[in-house]
Amino acid sequence: MDASQLLKGVLDVAVLAVVRDSDGYGYDVVRRLRTAGLEDVGDASVYGTLRRLYSAGALTSYVVPSDEGPHRKYYAINDRGRSVLEDSTKTWRTFADTVDGLLTGPWVAA
Amino acid sequence: MTAATVVSRQTQDYLAAVEHELADLSAEDRSALLEDLALHLEALAAEDDDRPIAVRLGPPAAYAADLRAAAGLPARAAGLRMPTLGLQERLVAIRETAAFQRVRPALHATRGLLAELRPAWWVLRGYLLVLVPCLLKSDGVRDFPVPAPLGSHVLGLLLVVAAVAASVALGRRSFPRWIGACVVFGGLLLLSVGAVVGQHAWSGMAARAAAADDFAWVPGPDVPSETYPLLSRYGPVTDVLPYAADGTPIEGVLLYDQDGRPLHVGVQQWWADSCLRFLSQPRAADGVPVPNSFPQAYELAPGNVSTMGTPMAPGICVKNIQRPEVPLPTFPAKSAAPVPGG
Repeated sequence: MDASQLLKGVLDVAVLAVVRDSDGYGYDVVRRLRTAGLEDVGDASVYGTLRRLYSAGALTSYVVPSDEGPHRKYYAINDRGRSVLEDSTKTWRTFADTVDGLLTGPWVAA
Repeated sequence: MTAATVVSRQTQDYLAAVEHELADLSAEDRSALLEDLALHLEALAAEDDDRPIAVRLGPPAAYAADLRAAAGLPARAAGLRMPTLGLQERLVAIRETAAFQRVRPALHATRGLLAELRPAWWVLRGYLLVLVPCLLKSDGVRDFPVPAPLGSHVLGLLLVVAAVAASVALGRRSFPRWIGACVVFGGLLLLSVGAVVGQHAWSGMAARAAAADDFAWVPGPDVPSETYPLLSRYGPVTDVLPYAADGTPIEGVLLYDQDGRPLHVGVQQWWADSCLRFLSQPRAADGVPVPNSFPQAYELAPGNVSTMGTPMAPGICVKNIQRPEVPLPTFPAKSAAPVPGG
């Protein structure tokens, strides 16, 4: 099964989950997703998702200047984002349980 | 420091290619996505990974397509693609080929060497800016190594210093890409013209050097001028020395070219005894000088002075100039035109 297709469906919730723990700039979010196990996540997909969540009002952003390197544009989750994440989490659990049930149920072996 | 000033040329190219792909988006969406990408490219450039950006992130077109899809923005219509896009994609594809990857270290080394040579090029560029116009204008004054605009080496030196300073200042500044391209094109044009003119000037110098051992060597131009209207392969001609077939020197010979025009030569300014002489051409019955009478008639300047104007010791300046030794051909004692059929 092509995991990248599954990833597209859950990237919103994955990105929201990452910035829920702590604010993050784009590349930081990419790396945290990869460290968490989503190694195939594409840079462009993450940046596009951050932009969409920001446009939808689920994220806010702020810039942190740096004297040593490029300045960083951090994304932070807001109340709307938390609400979206909460709903998405419920949807994911239900969906995952359903698929789990399908994969482990008695009618699979029959 | 802004993002645009620190990203390398490679990241600038990538950024420009993605920007091209996002051209149809609203200014707000496009600038937000490009700002993120610029920061991302800077972060990537700071990492210890020398793979090309197009390999790390994928071709710009694919990156832009992923960006649009993830951001929930419409995919770009195929009809909106500009013809240049294909070229950029092909370049990226070439960069990703195995052959390119093999030669990449050599290209990196060459690029590094060229970067180190840039200050030297800036200095050369400033020097050529003054030298090339001087070489193009054939005024008989030596322009190498110090150019002599308007015949002045001091002025040339000042101009070279100013031009080099300006060239270095130009090189240290960063410009928009199209201005940078104009500067590079101008530099290459200057170098090309300089190479052609320099080669031509070098040929002339070599020819004069070959004639340096000859008696009547006179510094002069490479093309006929009013001062030196007749040139030979050895340089300007300043006299013609006629001989009869039996080797007898002949004086007062009138010479004309193939079209019947009187033969004119340049004035000789260097003499074996270093004494100053003036040309004293014979005059026709109507009093008009006859310049094509050979050998040219020179008379010692009054007071026996050198060509530099300093007095000469008695006995050094000789009135009659010795003709040089010349290998004359020997003809049959009784020459007769061959008889056809005889």
